[in-house]
Amino acid sequence: MIIIGEKINATLSSVKSIMLNRETENLIDLAKKQVESGANFIDVNVGTGVGSLEDEIESIQWAVESIQEQIKTPICIDSADPKVMETGLKILNNKPAMINSVKAEKYNLEAVVPLAAEHDSFLIALAMDESGIPKTVEGRLRCCETILSACEKYGVSIQNVYIDPLVMPISTDINSGMVTLKTLSAIKEQFPGARTVTGLSNVSYGLPERGRLNVAYLHMCISAGLDAAIIDPLDKALMAAVKTGEVLAGKDRHCRRYMRSFRK
Amino acid sequence: MNPSELLEKIAFNVIQGRVEAEDEGFDLGLEGQPGVTELVNEALNLNIDPKKILIESLTESMEIVGEKFEQNEYLIPDMLASAECVGVAMDLLSPHLIKAGIKSKGKFIIATVKGDLHDIGKNIVAIMLKGAGYEIIDLKSDVSTDRIVDAVKENEAPFLGLSALLTTTMRNMENVIRELEKQGLRNKVKVLIGGAPTSKEFAAQIGADAYCKDAFQALEIMKKIESSP
Repeated sequence: MIIIGEKINATLSSVKSIMLNRETENLIDLAKKQVESGANFIDVNVGTGVGSLEDEIESIQWAVESIQEQIKTPICIDSADPKVMETGLKILNNKPAMINSVKAEKYNLEAVVPLAAEHDSFLIALAMDESGIPKTVEGRLRCCETILSACEKYGVSIQNVYIDPLVMPISTDINSGMVTLKTLSAIKEQFPGARTVTGLSNVSYGLPERGRLNVAYLHMCISAGLDAAIIDPLDKALMAAVKTGEVLAGKDRHCRRYMRSFRK
Repeated sequence: MNPSELLEKIAFNVIQGRVEAEDEGFDLGLEGQPGVTELVNEALNLNIDPKKILIESLTESMEIVGEKFEQNEYLIPDMLASAECVGVAMDLLSPHLIKAGIKSKGKFIIATVKGDLHDIGKNIVAIMLKGAGYEIIDLKSDVSTDRIVDAVKENEAPFLGLSALLTTTMRNMENVIRELEKQGLRNKVKVLIGGAPTSKEFAAQIGADAYCKDAFQALEIMKKIESSP
């Protein structure tokens, strides 16, 4: 499983001040900790909610430059704005990178998919369109189809696409957990070659003992075909669940990774 | 069951969040006992004043739910279960309220602003206000400034609720208020705002009348507005 470390996200108040005050040491520290815990990509979201688009462009410049100077792990540029993505990708200069994310909306596709093609980067594709996140599996698959045909048009290989079936809280809709799981398996069936990703902790929003639900749901997602997860790599229970889930789902040959992780 | 017992029973089941007899409640072991649907129908059959049902069984019990939520005794699903009860009860009561000539407390337009698709919070506020006796006109999510302002104008609505969950879209609330000013409607409508990235300070900054932390605060603020001349 590919782990995308989610901790550098400026919508979190502790990270917001790192961004606003340009605390390079703290930023690197946060990146390093995630890498040491097993992150394969470091997600970077500089959207603090204050300031303009120009500020955000400056922030992504600073953040990407600072991290890549010291850390080899590829960066996942997390923004709703194509300009912010482009800035980050240019600095990375065709080093492996990931774009987070694109959705099935005409203008968004036209702006983001060519960036992925130009920089040969991985692309996270959200199963949603301009009218939101479809409530049904069929609706979400239609969004995937739209995005994948845009990828074909602009020359992004399906192997570079990570489709996010999107996880919604079960606290506000009891069916949302299963819709995502069914979408996951349908994506695997209908779009061979495409990989899947999701930020699954949203499932437990609003409920007590979230860690338990996150672990259980990660297991279910792995069994339904999840290839990558946007999670906190410092969450030991969840990182252990990656190992237990994969070995139980037959994705860990001769249980090697599982045994190595828990070798005495 | 006498009428006051019945009203109390409805209130109890709203707080327990039980729509139908088969539903589980907040507390253990209530399955099988009549829920809000059965009880409201029974009350209507007994010709109990629908306004009394609304106020004593729905509005007041939702206030209790609000307090429980505030004190973290109730979590989001508990609150949604109760809100669902109010929604179901209102659907049953509405025709009777209209027949009895009972006017709503006024038209309340509610919308998530342009560019924003989040609607869970807005929907909860809408149900609560409906249960408190307002006529809700829900414009849904991703609603343009023009559509919101037009709706206020056409309906002559005295209340407007705006929601945004994104730091990028909350700025569109300000556009709505500026447009209301431009069209000379601002002093005719109270504007309440809410949503995760917003705050009391932000509300003041863009010139909204109030910031609501959650649906229950929205109810409190509406109560204050009702009692002020």
